[in-house]
Amino acid sequence: MTRHPMLKYLKEKGPAGPRMPTIMCPGCGAGQVLNYTLHAVDEIIHNDGTRKEDFVFISGVGCSARLTSHYLNFDSGWTIHGRSLPIATGALLANPSLKIVVFTGDGDAMAIGGNHFIHTCRRNLDVTILCINNGLYGMTGGQVAPTTPTGTATATTPYGNMEEAFDLCKMAETSGASYVARWTTAHPRQTIKSIKKGIGKKGTAFIEILSQCPIHMKTPPVEMLRDFKANTVSINKSRGHGEDKILIGEFCHMERPEWTEKYQKILEQFD
Amino acid sequence: MAGPSEKNLLKPGVYYLQGNQACAEGAITAGCRVYAGYPITPASEIMEHAALRLPQVGGRFIQMEDEISSASVLLGASWAGAKAMTATSSPGFSLMQEVISFAIMTETPLVIVDVQRPGPGQGYITTSQEDVMQARWGHHGEGSIIALSPASVQEMFDFTIEAFNLAEQWRTPVLVMAEETVAHMREPLTIPPQDQIKVVNRKKPQDLGISPEEFLPYGHAMVPPMANWGEGYNVNHVSLVHHEDGNVTKYNRDIHLDSVSRIQQKIEGNTDHIARVETRFLEGCRHLVICYGSVSRTAVEAVMEARQERGIDLAFLRLVTLWPFPEKKLREIVRDVDTVFVPEMNLGMMKHPITEALRDRCNRIVPIPTLGALHSPEMILSKIYEELK
Ligand SMILES: Cc1ncc(C[n+]2csc(CCOP(=O)(O)OP(=O)(O)O)c2C)c(N)n1
Ligand SMILES: [Mg+2]
Repeated sequence: MTRHPMLKYLKEKGPAGPRMPTIMCPGCGAGQVLNYTLHAVDEIIHNDGTRKEDFVFISGVGCSARLTSHYLNFDSGWTIHGRSLPIATGALLANPSLKIVVFTGDGDAMAIGGNHFIHTCRRNLDVTILCINNGLYGMTGGQVAPTTPTGTATATTPYGNMEEAFDLCKMAETSGASYVARWTTAHPRQTIKSIKKGIGKKGTAFIEILSQCPIHMKTPPVEMLRDFKANTVSINKSRGHGEDKILIGEFCHMERPEWTEKYQKILEQFD
Repeated sequence: MAGPSEKNLLKPGVYYLQGNQACAEGAITAGCRVYAGYPITPASEIMEHAALRLPQVGGRFIQMEDEISSASVLLGASWAGAKAMTATSSPGFSLMQEVISFAIMTETPLVIVDVQRPGPGQGYITTSQEDVMQARWGHHGEGSIIALSPASVQEMFDFTIEAFNLAEQWRTPVLVMAEETVAHMREPLTIPPQDQIKVVNRKKPQDLGISPEEFLPYGHAMVPPMANWGEGYNVNHVSLVHHEDGNVTKYNRDIHLDSVSRIQQKIEGNTDHIARVETRFLEGCRHLVICYGSVSRTAVEAVMEARQERGIDLAFLRLVTLWPFPEKKLREIVRDVDTVFVPEMNLGMMKHPITEALRDRCNRIVPIPTLGALHSPEMILSKIYEELK
């Protein structure tokens, strides 16, 4: 049997025994996001001389956060619900040469961690934020999230969600992120390319990846992936006739001075 | 770190500083190079001084959006190899409890200063000792904590250094439980030559010849060596119950008991090494005052006066370390006394572990509570005279 090429970046077992299989449910999109991320990281390691040990993966709590748990054979922190970005901030202040990738869920990033999300983007700290947006709280049983579409019935909206959903990319862009993009798990090549760009960007890169939770959405994964294809339209092609569809693509790609670079100027005064 | 500038450390000598500034200088002397905070009276001068001074020594300062994120910054900074600190006052300290719990479980060295003010709620912005129980019991779950109680500007400097040393030595969060009194007080501060200041750094697997392949992030010793991020050790920091190798499993009673007992015992089992008390006139005394923090400044005056003016056989004992509570030490040095007075700037908090420790060593314990301001020596004296009539 051929081994998956990305297994080299995972810890399959340790002194305490096997670490696999992962806890992800069959058909979950989180594993796809990990696969895309590792492909991007692999290309960066092979092509631009970044060392594997320069990468640090940080997450909070949630199904998406499990990607940095004990499977990953990198420096990583599987931390506090909503606080992955301040923790990444600390790591960056201690060592600005680290390549920090944050895995976060839609609830983790935008509900409990919403304030930190805004301020991380505003500061333009050099982190790549990969938000696995499954439109709900997967880990705790499918409750409503700030990203759940209006009308959806969930465990805590038995009469349908009456609130409006957040547009995470708009929030990232207005808050000051340097790179902002949205894809879905059904767009592997584009997602990998975006993650590479995001990691290469000096500043905050935010990439939202719409992902399927077949269990709580009670929909077969294949159908959800098909919907991701059918219900999205590229920002380059929309031209006003895709308003009923979800926009995907790169929303923002600019150069802005990054926090630690600016701080470096202060440090140099005292050299 | 970027260009560490030892030359910008405070030169040895005598300075006239505020307690909060002395605290920030102590942190810098101990090697703190990341500071994150959120303003709050009466702690803000610590972060203002850190903002000014950290870049001068090659460190980085950031004002965060709240206290939760300020404390969270310390986790990432510490894992990436820096010594890191935040300071706050009581309402902010409440917000940091979740991080403290995570730091205990992930065995992360970091320092949090709580310049206590009265509560509950916004209370006042005066002085207080009302967070001493929150320091020990505020975080969720098991695990122990180290908390120091400074009583002077000099100790704001010295104890902050000691807090970093303890954090690095025991791989654990350490609290400096200051009070507005010492934070805003101005007194002479003596800075000794750098080579006379003890600075402890965490043990790393590299120091012990442990390779990345052999490395267990939560193994090898009672206090596991700690690899920094970026050094090729592939460290996963996890706060779920974990095996020595960082693996999390389904509920496993043995792993649960082993791992959580160890992080509790590495502190509680070493109380004799960690906790300090100071005493005066203790040998064979009949009565005793037990106190901590700035209250010890007035309490010691009251003790002297009661001895001189009325010839009362009264001794003085100060808890330098609040947690781990030095129960064994107390029981060793206090054998048989009549009355123990416990003045505190709360309604009676440390009175509880004191009562437990001296359950068969004294006839009675008399609390002398006050709120929001230091006791005057007369307040303490009048209670003593009334009780010992
Ligand atoms: C402080 C705190 N509050 C609540 C929880 C419970 N909790 C765990 S994951 C989660 C929601 C995760 O949702 P999301 O970030 O969207 O991740 P997903 O599981 O959907 O990938 C919640 C509420 C927690 N672990 N900690
Ligand atoms: Mg989610």
